[in-house]
Amino acid sequence: MIKITNLEKFYRTEEVETIALNKLSIEVKTGEFVAIMGPSGCGKSTLLNILGMLDDPDEGSYVFNGIEVAHFTERKRADLRKHNIGFVFQSFNLIDELTVFENVELPLIYTGVPSAERVKRVEEVLDKMQIMHRRNHYPQQLSGGQQQRVAIARAVVNKPKLILADEPTGNLDSSNGNDVMELLTDLNEQGTTIIMVTHSEHDARYSHRIIRLLDGQSVVENIMV
Amino acid sequence: MIKNYIKTAYRTLLKNKGFTVLNVLGLSLGLASCLLIIFYVVDELSYDRYNTKADRISRVNEDLKLGENNVLYAVCMPPLAQALKNDFPYVEDAVRLKNGGSRHVKKGGVNILENKTVFADPSLFNVFTLPMINGSPATALTEPNSVVLTETTAKKYFNSTNVIGKTLTFDDNIFYKVSGVIRDIPRQSHFDFDFFISMSTLPDSRSTEWLRSDYNTYVLFKNAGDHKKLEAALPAFLNKYSGEQMQAQLKMSMAAFEKGGSFFRLNLTPLTDIHLKSNRTGELGPNGTTQYVYIFSAIALFILLIACVNFMNLSTARSANRAREVGVRKVLGSLRKHLIAQFLIESILVAFAATVIALTAAIALLPAFNQLSGKDIIVNSQTMVWLIPALLLIVLVVGALAGSYPAFYLSAFQPIAVLKGKLSAGFKGSGLRSFLVVLQFSISIFLIVGTLVIYNQLNYIQTKNLGYNRNEVLIVQNTFELGNRANVFKKEIKQLPGVVNATMTGFLPTSNWKNTAIFFKDAAFDQKKALFPQTWEVDEDYIKTLDMKMAVGRSFSSQMLTDSSGIIINESAAKFLGLKDPLNKPLYRSNGGKQDISNSKEYHIIGVVKDFNFSSLRDVISPMVLVLANNPGALSVRVNTKNLPVVLSQIKDKWKGLTPNIQIDFSFMDQDFDASYRAEQRVGTIFIVFTALAIIIACLGLFGLAAYAAEQRTKEIGIRKILGASIAAIAGMLSFDFLKLVLIAILISLPVGWFLMNKWLQEFAYRVNIQWWVLVLAGFTSIFIALITIGFQSIKAALSNPVNSLRSE
Repeated sequence: MIKITNLEKFYRTEEVETIALNKLSIEVKTGEFVAIMGPSGCGKSTLLNILGMLDDPDEGSYVFNGIEVAHFTERKRADLRKHNIGFVFQSFNLIDELTVFENVELPLIYTGVPSAERVKRVEEVLDKMQIMHRRNHYPQQLSGGQQQRVAIARAVVNKPKLILADEPTGNLDSSNGNDVMELLTDLNEQGTTIIMVTHSEHDARYSHRIIRLLDGQSVVENIMV
Repeated sequence: MIKNYIKTAYRTLLKNKGFTVLNVLGLSLGLASCLLIIFYVVDELSYDRYNTKADRISRVNEDLKLGENNVLYAVCMPPLAQALKNDFPYVEDAVRLKNGGSRHVKKGGVNILENKTVFADPSLFNVFTLPMINGSPATALTEPNSVVLTETTAKKYFNSTNVIGKTLTFDDNIFYKVSGVIRDIPRQSHFDFDFFISMSTLPDSRSTEWLRSDYNTYVLFKNAGDHKKLEAALPAFLNKYSGEQMQAQLKMSMAAFEKGGSFFRLNLTPLTDIHLKSNRTGELGPNGTTQYVYIFSAIALFILLIACVNFMNLSTARSANRAREVGVRKVLGSLRKHLIAQFLIESILVAFAATVIALTAAIALLPAFNQLSGKDIIVNSQTMVWLIPALLLIVLVVGALAGSYPAFYLSAFQPIAVLKGKLSAGFKGSGLRSFLVVLQFSISIFLIVGTLVIYNQLNYIQTKNLGYNRNEVLIVQNTFELGNRANVFKKEIKQLPGVVNATMTGFLPTSNWKNTAIFFKDAAFDQKKALFPQTWEVDEDYIKTLDMKMAVGRSFSSQMLTDSSGIIINESAAKFLGLKDPLNKPLYRSNGGKQDISNSKEYHIIGVVKDFNFSSLRDVISPMVLVLANNPGALSVRVNTKNLPVVLSQIKDKWKGLTPNIQIDFSFMDQDFDASYRAEQRVGTIFIVFTALAIIIACLGLFGLAAYAAEQRTKEIGIRKILGASIAAIAGMLSFDFLKLVLIAILISLPVGWFLMNKWLQEFAYRVNIQWWVLVLAGFTSIFIALITIGFQSIKAALSNPVNSLRSE
């Protein structure tokens, strides 16, 4: 599903040029659950942003589902992104002014799903995440675990082929964290590819494979059994 | 999708109540002020448009230059209207109006003084749209001694509008038959009369003289473009009719006359330009000036600009809080254009709310504004016809303008950066925001300078030594009605205790009586050296009563029998004539008609009076001469104000003793003087009010920004406090960021204000200089106001407990 080759990304400030990704090559197959680990500053987030088409690489190739996307325009990337990729963040990133239902509905609005169909699909996914009873609440009225469930519901409502999770349990206690990992595992078992950045060895154990990054390069790949 | 935007917009606004109130209030206040000024400007611009044929009507004017004297008349020769009709087939009709002055009209046993009388040709109702309620427009003014009344006037005298055939008694012994009743003259008309008397009543109206001008003449063209044709044909036309009379009286042809540097020309003013663009001798009423329309439009624009800037500034300041939403929406697949649309819709929504509030406020404030501006503006369904679309346009433009910066700025956020919190505190970085604050304050400071300068000039007008003393002078305005007994009245008044002196003449520095004559300083009657001065008929008490000063020579004296051929000139006239030692020099006054020594009167100069202002301070004092004559126009009485009520009642008693049926009409000279500067006074007040509003609006914005800046820097403030910074140091630090901007604004606006206000002052021949303290005061006022606005927020932020601010991170 994903094949990146010799990917490079630099950050330039006025005086310093930092290499975030240094000729990185990774392949992720459809249906895989991959964890990316590494110390702060190793390029995890940069990689995730490029994989999520939120950012483009300076050099190298990124083939998504057989399409070279490395130098797509913003518009094309947005289009590909909204139909194929769901995001889960450490800090949930729900919109405070929208209710649970409306937050989850948002991606469907952007992909142009008709209203009746939207209601059906949002209710379906809220039910699945067991937060149906909270549908008319605002994010601040929910616990952290509940907020992350909403965020995951929002990530999967469009039935994406790929979910990118950036430390999804980072702001949660261990019990809520485990719940979230179980949810992701379920989604993976139903066929969704998942790439997750994490600091937690515990969470990484839910994945099939761990890619360890250091200074923008892949150093080790652990295959989980 | 749009539903989602509106929903988000609504909830965001609700969530940030303080910010929303500040934003909507600022914009409403700005728009309401703007609306009031627009009402004013539209009112000024719509004069005479009530005439359905307005675009086909022009007034004929005469420009006369004789020697160094240049006079622009709004009036023309008596036979002109008929000649135009005869000569030009595209002139559909023409009408003459001649101001009828003050008349006494009898109601019951009492004579009421009426000032709004006019003589008019029968074609009046064909040219102007003055709908007739009773009577026939075609014939109402054909018969001599017939009069058409306005509705209100008919009701005043007869309690009815059904009054055709009834008789009104003018000046006790003249009887006019009412031949028609018209609706009241619309408010926005350059003339305003209550009595239209048939022109045929006036024998002079049949005069065939082509060398004098006293009839306001209007032509109605067949087609709107015809006035250009006529304007081109006027020189030949004038030559055809007046050439002969000129030859006979001046012994020269029109060509020779023009060759000598003089001229005598006709031109046209479109009807709809009269109110704002015409300020000639012989206007039918006081007109406005375009200058004030421009000034007010500029103020309206400034205020709107300030309000929009506020709106943009507050919106962008809040943008960091919306950044995360932008990031999330982008990640979820929103395109930049969707976000732009979202923020624009939000902004237009707020603009709409503000406009609704503004409209309500403007209508509610209209009576107060009318009082302020001396207008009588009403908002009715007709106003709404243009107002509603205009307002919707304003909503869209202001909404889009104010929303564009946040829309484009926010939508350009990089989602990753935003979601990582990198953009959350980007306050200092916005150069545009600083620019906008500078712009706002520059405008405000400019308005402060403007207000101070206008105030100073008005104060100058009030206190300037005008060359006469207008205080403690009571004027009995209608002594002319006493006829022969006027002199008896004067004698009796002079004897009253408490009366210092009295002078009888209608020619006063504060009255509208004007009279010009032609003088020559030697028997050669050189046209080029003709003097064309104000020629006032006064008595021997004039100079003394009005407290004027003689430069050389003496005033008129009742003891000197030869003074009937004596003349007093003012300094300007002496200068014009180039007389170093003017005393006893002759002056020849042309009797009109043939201009040579046989047709003139010889005067000798007995004194030079120091220049005194007798027209607006806008104009330089022009040459004037005073001659001794019995002019019973009005009696000016210098009184001792210690017991004014007593003196006043004694004067009234004397009046009643002479003429019990006529009411005394009096005024005070200083009040008459103030009345002639009422337009300036009003502009001054309006300027002050709207400047205050502009400053308030700018401060609302600054207040919001300061609050936001303090909020953004909570963490920094916390750290600084923990490291030992004092409250004063922190408040100072926060304030200085804004004060810097205000200082830049001061540097920009003071020179601009100085320059533009100097230009305004150029309009006045007599004016103040802009003092340095005006600029300093404007600068300090703005700093002071800004400091109060910012200081409150800064101190609040500085006082907060650092532990709280750091924990919130």
